[in-house]
This record gives sequence, structure tokens and C-alpha cells, in this order.
Amino acid sequence: MKRGFVILTVLFLFLFPQVSSGRMYIDITSPGFRAIPTAIYDLLGPEEAEEISAILRDDLEFSGVFYPVDRDAYIETPLPVFNPQNWTPLGVELVLKGSATVDADRIEVIVYLYDVVEARKILQRRYSAHKRHLIPLAHSIADDIYKTVTGEEGGFRTKIAFIGEKKGKRTIYLMDWNGRRLKSTGITAELLVSLHWSRDGKKLLYSSARGKQWGIYLADFQKRKELIIIRSTATNIAGDFFPDGERFLFSSSKAGTPDLYIYNMKKKKAERITWKRGIEISPTVSPDGRFIAFVSDHGGTPQIYVMGLDGKRPRRISFNSRYCTSPAWSPRGDRIAYTCMIGGKHQIFIVGTDGSDSVQLTDRGNNEDPSFSPNGRFITFTSDRDGYKRVYIMRANGEVQRPVSPKNMRAFGPEWSPNKVF
Amino acid sequence: MIRKLLLLCLILAFTFSCAQRKVSSPAGGALEEGASAVAPGKEEKEIGATKEIGEEEVARIETAEIEEPKSAVLTEKEREEILKDIHFDFDKYNIKDEDKPTLRRVADWMLQNPNVRLIIEGHCDERGTNEYNLGLGDRRATSTKDYLVSLGVPESRLQTVSYGEERPLCTEHNEDCWAKNRRAHFVVIEGE
Repeated sequence: MKRGFVILTVLFLFLFPQVSSGRMYIDITSPGFRAIPTAIYDLLGPEEAEEISAILRDDLEFSGVFYPVDRDAYIETPLPVFNPQNWTPLGVELVLKGSATVDADRIEVIVYLYDVVEARKILQRRYSAHKRHLIPLAHSIADDIYKTVTGEEGGFRTKIAFIGEKKGKRTIYLMDWNGRRLKSTGITAELLVSLHWSRDGKKLLYSSARGKQWGIYLADFQKRKELIIIRSTATNIAGDFFPDGERFLFSSSKAGTPDLYIYNMKKKKAERITWKRGIEISPTVSPDGRFIAFVSDHGGTPQIYVMGLDGKRPRRISFNSRYCTSPAWSPRGDRIAYTCMIGGKHQIFIVGTDGSDSVQLTDRGNNEDPSFSPNGRFITFTSDRDGYKRVYIMRANGEVQRPVSPKNMRAFGPEWSPNKVF
Repeated sequence: MIRKLLLLCLILAFTFSCAQRKVSSPAGGALEEGASAVAPGKEEKEIGATKEIGEEEVARIETAEIEEPKSAVLTEKEREEILKDIHFDFDKYNIKDEDKPTLRRVADWMLQNPNVRLIIEGHCDERGTNEYNLGLGDRRATSTKDYLVSLGVPESRLQTVSYGEERPLCTEHNEDCWAKNRRAHFVVIEGE
């Protein structure tokens, strides 16, 4: 008994300091972080290998975690051999190699990721997929690489839902986060707004005005059905789902002015949480489900406030202009994105949940409707900077802003999906 | 026995703490350490289970259709002179004095035509953000409704709907156009 205790103590003495001081992953949030110079070899193999490589490279580069070094600097063969001494003088820190083979309608890929600093292989994995799943296959590899290095989900298989407009009709579309593989959900109406994914990615909540009444509708991708949750002569606008997946926030003017409510889908009941005379709208929930950020004009102009679920003691967090709306709570919990009108145009800001450290992320045209990727590293939004509304993505620090919705389609209201969809 | 265990502890501690680790493998991936040069061909055995990648198709969903209420046929005089739009200032929903005579005429007309109902649409210009404008349009429609109720129109015959900035009357991007779009619009419906 006593001996056992001694052994345990010795074990702890030796192991514990290691656990607390040894950092597992590269900390991409540290202020000094710069993208990791990475040699990304094209996978060896037929044309499919090239296609996978291109997707992989784009995913890794967009993430901002990896910086693909110039191919001219690749001094090793593309075969899975690795000597860190080849790479140290070049400042390359990670080396990615691999190969793909195609047999009938199957693709097999093997990838190797080497860490030059550690002088070792940190990932090797074999993948198999049907040819028609080449794109998700490539994104899955990027996900594994991202997670190996950062310890976080990459989310390269996520989707963006948005509203597209054609000939006065609106349709909910889905696309890969990078804009590829656009697909209509079939949900079409004259007026559709305010998309919100369920936490399991199997449902989409939104508002639609039909027959001169605003309703909150739920699209269930598994049952392939659209359900009416709430419909009345009031203005009923959908908000975020809570983490439990059973409750969601919404704004309704059924008691006279737009106020916030929590709807419980199991109990089929709504509970009112704000009682002000002005407009309370656009609620977004913190990832732990304990706080709500929303828009209220009770101070005279629309501003962003944060409060607990009891609706008490709302605290203003936006101080940028006389018109701030559209809050979105980062899944990381520490930031809220929103828009403010600056010089007559809407710009996206990001701020601490207490209103500190507000940073403007956009400056061309109107930029609205921010929505975070599930790992909180990226934001999708609407911008009219090129003359018409289009869906864009950027890193959460404002870098690399690029359009992703189809050219010449009026598109807005993007909502980034959870990591898993359907 | 204890010595052996202590030795084992030391060895364990060293393997874990020597390297100032910056990167490590995710849990479950049994990867070798310290190899400075990895020869091809040796991998096959170590790679382990193949990860199978698939994807569910996007299901198409039918949209539930809801019929628009039928609007009543009005005379030109009713449309052009009585049931005229009223207007609002930017980000405001108070009834302006200049629109009060219009609302008086609307109220009188409603009282003379007891078999119709009125839907009041609240609209905004494009400068706000879409969702907030739905709230603002709601307030505009409701303050219009409240004013009509104060003039004696039964509340049961009045209904509101906000269209925010979603249905502009005028689509140019200038103040003339925006002013026209910041409006409450009246739609007359037959029956109780």
C-alpha cells in the first residue's frame, strides 16, 4: 500500500510538470503567430491526385495557419522520404507528401506530414472514397492536417447556407464554404430571411412572409420536410438555436413591439424574455447557452447589447456609430461580430463580449450579416462592394476577403454550418 | 521490484519531457517518434486503418404554399386620394403631422366601408440592415394602426405586416427614392 503510494508520487513528480509546461499544439491565437512555412507537395498519381492537391493547398492556405512555400524550394523527391536537414536551412517547418491511386471508381490516398523542427513524422493516414466524393475526400485530409497541427477542427467540410434571388423569388441554397458545389434546397418563397442552422446540422430555421404573415419555419433535411413552427400576424423572426438543440431564440411583435422570446420545440411553448417598448431583434446565443447578444433601440438608436437568459441588466457593447446591428457570437465564445454604419455604409466589426477591443474588419461597400465558421476562425458575410449583394468569406481578423457565391446572382444572409451537416 | 518501477518511471518521464514539443499527434494516432529519415516501403504496416470518406446528398425540400389574401377592387379615387402612403424619417416610426390628414381620411373611409379589412404594410429604405428593418417596418405599421384605432377604427379590422426593406417602391440609390420607400402602405381585403 505504502509502496504503491511512493510509486504514484514519483510518477506524478516526473510526469506532471511535463503535462503543464509541454504545449501540445501550435498556438495559432498567440499574437506573434505567423503562418507556418509548409512544403505542400502535389500528391503523386493520376489527374485526380492533382485535383485533390489543389483543394488541399487552397484549404490550408486560406486557413492562415499554413504558408505554402514556393515549389522551386522543394529539394526532396515527392516520395515519402524525409530528412529535416534538407529543410532547416530553407526555413520550412512542415512537409506534406503523399500519393493517390485510382482503381475503377475508387480513389485511395496516403498522406504523410513531417515536422522539420521536431524531426519526425506527425501524421500518416490512408483514405478511401468513391470518385464522386473527391472533394470531401480532399477536405477531410485538410481537416486532419489542420487538427494535427492546431488541435482544432478545420471545418473544411462545412457548408454555407444563403438566400439567392432570381426573378423576385428567393431560394435557400447550400454550397461548400469555398463556394463550390452550389445546390438548391428547393425552399423557395417571395420572402425568406434569417437562416439559422441547428447544432447538429440536420435542420435549418428561417423566417418567411407568406400570405402577408411572418412565420418561422424549420427545414428538416432528413425528413425532407418544411415545418411551420410559428405563424401569426406579428413579425416573427428566427434567431439562434441553443446548444441543447431543443430551444431557439426569436423576435416577435405579438405583444405590441418586437421583443425576444425563447421557443421550446419539445414543449411547443414560447417564453418572453424582454419587455421593452422599442425594437428588440436579432438575438444570438453564446456557445455555453448562458448569454444573449441582440439589437435594441431603447437607447434611441439601434445598438448591440449582451444579457443573461433572464433578460435582466442588458449591457451595451457597441460604441462605434449611431446604427449598429446584426450581432453574431463566435463559437469560441470570446468575440462578437456585428455591423455598424460608418459614413453611410455598413461595416463589420469584431469586439470582446464586454465591448472591449473593437476592430473594424471591412471597408469597401456595404458589409452585413456576419456569421462565424464553427471553429470561429472565419466569417461569412454579405457585401455589395462589386455592385450587387454577394456572399463573401474572410478570416476572423479580416484577412483574405473573397466572394464565394455565384457571379451575377443576388445573394445574401449567409449562415455557416456546424462541422457536420445532414 | 520498486527499483525497476522507479527506473521505468524515469525512462517514461524522459521520453515525455525531453522534447520541447510544439506539435503532437491527435489522440489515437500511434505515430513513431524521432525518425530523422523515413524510408519508403516501410510505411505500409504502420499506416493502420483506412479512413473511408463519404457524403450525404442534399435533400430537396418542398415549400409549404400559403395563399395571399385577395385584395379588394378599389376605385381610382380610393387608391389615389384616400388610401395614400404615409412617410417616415430615417430610423423613425413616429407619425408626422403632415400625414395626419391622410390618416383621418383613411379612418373615415374605413368607418364608411364596414365590410372591409385593412392590412397596413410597414416599409423601410435600403440603408439599414435587413433584419433590423423588419423590426422598424413593424413599428411603422403598428404606429399607423394605433393612430387609426385612436380615430375610432376597430382594431379587429386592422392587420399589420412588416416588409422591412424587402419590397422597395423605388429602386434608385438616392434620398428621393429612399424617402418614398420609408412608408406605410394600405391594402384593402374583402370581408370581415
